Amino acid sequence: MKEDLRVLGIESTAHTFSASVVSEKKGLLCDVRDIYAPPEGSGIHPTEASIHHAAVASKVAQEAVTTSGVGWKDIDAVAYAMGPGLGPCLRVGAVTARTLSLSLGRPLVPVNHAVGHIELGCMLTGAVSPLVLLISGGHTMVVSYSSGMWRVLGETLDLTLGQLLDQLGRHVGFASPCGRRIEEAASRSHRYLRLPYTVKGNDVSFSGTITAAKRLIDAGEPFDDVCFSVQETAFATAVEVTERALAFTGNSELMVVGGVAANKRLAEMLGVMVGRHSAKFHVVPLRYSGDCGAQIAWTGLLAYKSGSSIPVEKSVIRQSWRLDTVPLPWRIAA
Amino acid sequence: MKLLYRGAEADLFEGEWAGAEAVFKFRKPLPYRLPVLDEEIRGQRTVHEAEIIRHARTAGVRVPYLYYVSPRESLIVMQFVGGPRLKAFLQTSGKETGEVSKDFGSAVGTLHSAGIMHGDLTTSNVIVGKGGVHLIDFGLATHTVKVEDQAVDLRLIKETLVGAHSEVAASVMSSFFTGYAEVVGEKKAKEVGKKLLEIERRGRYARVE
Repeated sequence: MKEDLRVLGIESTAHTFSASVVSEKKGLLCDVRDIYAPPEGSGIHPTEASIHHAAVASKVAQEAVTTSGVGWKDIDAVAYAMGPGLGPCLRVGAVTARTLSLSLGRPLVPVNHAVGHIELGCMLTGAVSPLVLLISGGHTMVVSYSSGMWRVLGETLDLTLGQLLDQLGRHVGFASPCGRRIEEAASRSHRYLRLPYTVKGNDVSFSGTITAAKRLIDAGEPFDDVCFSVQETAFATAVEVTERALAFTGNSELMVVGGVAANKRLAEMLGVMVGRHSAKFHVVPLRYSGDCGAQIAWTGLLAYKSGSSIPVEKSVIRQSWRLDTVPLPWRIAA
Repeated sequence: MKLLYRGAEADLFEGEWAGAEAVFKFRKPLPYRLPVLDEEIRGQRTVHEAEIIRHARTAGVRVPYLYYVSPRESLIVMQFVGGPRLKAFLQTSGKETGEVSKDFGSAVGTLHSAGIMHGDLTTSNVIVGKGGVHLIDFGLATHTVKVEDQAVDLRLIKETLVGAHSEVAASVMSSFFTGYAEVVGEKKAKEVGKKLLEIERRGRYARVE
C-alpha cells in the first residue's frame, strides 16, 4: 500500500479551465486556472469557451503538476468533471483527462461538478454533513445528505442566482460573470425598488424578478438602485428557503458554496439567518467558492479511494446530471 | 406563553383565547430582509393566510378555527390542533402510513377542488389529529384553479418525502394519490400527475423517466 495518494483533477464545465493536484495526506497541493473571458456584453459562448480551453489545457495541466511539487509518475489517478455543464467545454476536459490517464497508465475517475463543490467545501471548512446552499451560474439548490445521496429540499424553478445576476449585467453591457460588478453597484445604493419576491413552497423563481429589473433599467432607474433591489429581493428569497430547510431538517451546520457564495451581502444575510438557529455557518474561502480543479481532484480522490473509476472507452460526458442522482460511496462508508 | 415551534418565518406559541386552547402565530421580523420589504411581506402573508384558512374551512378542509387576526402585529390566533406533525408521524410509525397518507391526499384534493393551492405542503405543515389529517400554515397559499399550481403543491410533497423520508416516500405518495383521486376524480388526478412530471422534467439537469 502506498503511503499517500495523489489525484490530478480537471475542471472544465463552464468558463474555467483548471487543474489541481491533491494529496490524501496533505490536501490541496495546487490549483491552476485559466478563465475564459467573453467580450463585453456577452455571456459564455460554449464553442468560444471550448476553443479557449483547448488552447490552454496542456499548459494548465503541466503547470499544476509542476507547482504541486510531485512528478507525473506520482499521480495515482486522473479525475475529470463529467458534468453537468456546457458540452463543448466538458469535452475538452474529458479529452485532456483521458489522454493523461492513458499516457500515465493511471485510472480515470468521473466526478459530478456539483458534488465537487460540496465535498471541497466540506474539506476546507470542516463541515461534516451540512445543509448546503449551492449557488452558482449552474445551480441554485438547497440540499441535505440522506441515505446515500444529496437530496434536494428546494431549488430554483427557472434561472439560477448566477444567471439572474449575469442577465442583469449583460443588459447593461457587462460580460459574464457579472456578479462582482453588480455587487459593487449595489453597494453604492440604499434605494429599494419593489421587485417580484417569488417563493413557491421551498422553491424560488427569478424569471419575474429579472423581467421587472430590466424594465426598471429601461425606464431610466439608476443601475445601482436596480442592482441593490435585485440583490435584496433575490437573496432574501434564497435565504428564506434556506432557513425553511434549516428549520425543517434541524441540521446543525449550514454551508454555502458556488460562485455566488463570493457575494458579501448574501453571506451577511445568511449569517444573520443562521444566528437565529443553533447551527454553525461555514463559508467556503473565496478562492475556492467558484469553479476550480481542486473540487474535481478532491472529490476524485474520495471516489477513487472507494473504488470508483471508469474505463476510457466509457468515459462520456453528461451535460445534464442532477446532483440528487449521484451515488456517494465514500459517504455511505463513512 | 409556551413556545410550541420555532419555524423559519413564524414562531408558534401555545396560550389561551377566551378560555380555549389556542395557538398564537407570530410572524417575526426577519433581520436579514430589508425592513421595508420585510414588513410588507409579513403583513401580506398574515392577511392572506387568514383569508385562505377561512375559505378552506368553508370548503370542508380540516384547518384550525380562527380566533383573532392582526396584520399590524403579524399575528394570527387560532385553534390548537392536537396530534403529531406528519413529519414526526412518518419517522415513528413504521409502515402503517396508508390511511393517514390517503387522508392527507383527500385533504389536499378538497383544497384544490376549492380553488386553493397550499404552497408549502411539507410534512411539517400537516397534523395527524384526532378527527383526521389537518392542514396548517397557509402563509404561501393562493387562490388558483390552475393545474400547474396544483402540481407545484404535489411536487413539494414529493420533494419533501423523497428528501426527508426517502424510505417511505413511494408508499406514502401512492396512498396519497389514491385519496387525492377519490376527491378530485381520476381524470383530474391524472392530469395533475402528468403536470407534476412535466415540472420535474423542467428542473435543472433533470432526466425524468
